[in-house]
Amino acid sequence: MIADLIESLAKIIFIFTVNLGFFAPVLGWVERKQSALIQDRIGANRADILGFTVIGLFHSLADAVKVLTKEDFIPAGANKFFHTMAPFISLVPAIAAFSVIPFGGKYTVFGHEVHLVIADLDVGILFVFALASLSTFGVVLAGWSSRSNWSLMGGLRASAQMLSYEVAMGLTIIGIIMVFGSLKLTEIGAAQENFFRWGIFLQPVGFILFLTCAIAENKRVPFDIPEAESELVAGYFTEYSGLKFVMFWMGEFLEIVTISGMVTTLFFGAWHLPFVTDQMLLDFFQFAGPNGAGILAMLVNIATFFGKVVFFIWLQMAIRWTLPRFRYDQIMRLCWKMILPISLINILVTGLVLLI
Amino acid sequence: MNTTTNLDPAKHHPMVGVPVDVLKPKRVRKEVNLTLWEKVYVFEILRGLYVTTKHFVVNMIGFVAPPKGKKRSVFTVYYPEERVTLPVAYRGRPVLVMRKDGTERCVACGLCEKICPASAISIVAGEREDLDRYPVSYTLDMSRCVYCGYCEEVCPKEAIVMSSEYEGLAERDRKNLRYSKDRLLRSEESVKDRIEYIRRIYSKWNY
Repeated sequence: MIADLIESLAKIIFIFTVNLGFFAPVLGWVERKQSALIQDRIGANRADILGFTVIGLFHSLADAVKVLTKEDFIPAGANKFFHTMAPFISLVPAIAAFSVIPFGGKYTVFGHEVHLVIADLDVGILFVFALASLSTFGVVLAGWSSRSNWSLMGGLRASAQMLSYEVAMGLTIIGIIMVFGSLKLTEIGAAQENFFRWGIFLQPVGFILFLTCAIAENKRVPFDIPEAESELVAGYFTEYSGLKFVMFWMGEFLEIVTISGMVTTLFFGAWHLPFVTDQMLLDFFQFAGPNGAGILAMLVNIATFFGKVVFFIWLQMAIRWTLPRFRYDQIMRLCWKMILPISLINILVTGLVLLI
Repeated sequence: MNTTTNLDPAKHHPMVGVPVDVLKPKRVRKEVNLTLWEKVYVFEILRGLYVTTKHFVVNMIGFVAPPKGKKRSVFTVYYPEERVTLPVAYRGRPVLVMRKDGTERCVACGLCEKICPASAISIVAGEREDLDRYPVSYTLDMSRCVYCGYCEEVCPKEAIVMSSEYEGLAERDRKNLRYSKDRLLRSEESVKDRIEYIRRIYSKWNY
């Protein structure tokens, strides 16, 4: 009992540290530096401590100081309660969604079975989708409660876009659920032990559609019309400043991490290395004794999982600096006239193949 | 690839601009309608990702371990540390040309004062003992100057030219922007290239 409690606490602290302590600040730096490298610039490198710049990493620190000392501005006539609530509503689901994503398999250490997932829900995928829908509320409330035309337009666009893409995203994932026969993310991950049973080989179309929908759901470029800075200043968070502004910003980055975790779990073999089964890994680390082998295999699997996550984060950022923004009608056409029919056909074909 | 900071002065000076035959613009497909291949999006997006990834990887290698003897392919300039070599056609702050003996070339004819579209120049003319005219005071209000270069073009004595200076023009007090003669004078040597250049470009008027 106590061992279970300690295990859960350790996992929660680990995920919190990785997400909020590592990914959220570092992604801000990555976004600056990667865009600089892609566009033949040098990028952030001016913030320094005693002359050490550490390739611009201190900019995240400087950002934190700036944000904490900034005035928390609420416009006159804004609904104070909802204006304060909105950033929390959009940040909390982004943090919570990672709780069902497995970052490792099952290991026996000191006679205790360790599951490397915080909450092993039977409906893990639905849980992630439900939380993704919740963050829509944050965006819509932020847009509505700010009492600004820019914010309202951004909130309207965001609500229409996110609702549309939720429908499509649900359908793109049906194929993978049919193939693996489970909504449980740990089972889907465990089913991809064999390299040729990875989701990308079984559902290549589903992967592309899911990634597209996920980026649209996260409102990132090429689908960032809710915050189109050339038209709407900053869209739904125009009237936010200081810590609340950063909460939207962190919510976006954490959603990138969550999307990468979902893509990894569903399509890229979760915590498995290609051509390496769990048993092979345990046999390889046999020299460290049964407990040591379990711990080492666990570390390798966690590293593999987060390596894949980092790659997909990089891919999403590269997409951001590659593509121009879609027009509003193009986004809607892409969703309703292309992704939705293609995912339906995908489901049909998957069903037929499974029947035969 | 060359960096902006690394412009070869022998090559780019005093020639202005890039010759037309050097510029070979890529052919652009001008049809409005997308082909089926482009409508699928995915392959064209992958092509775009290839380009950005190529830049990313190349710059990453140059960033971590730059190849020897090759400058990084960065097109921005670290401003206070690095400076751009300005082309001679650049119109910076107007300056008065000083003779070797320390007096100005200007004869206070007032043509620049007359042509100045922003009325930035005001001259008080005077006379020396040898009956030469000279400006007793020459005031150039830098808060009004629009850097058009008319004063330089109209000057019969090559006495006022556009220099390549562009710094130190921010002031807390507008009075400090009224530049007097002692702040405007520059030696002949420092503006030699510009004088040569204006002789060439205004030669069609046969001054």
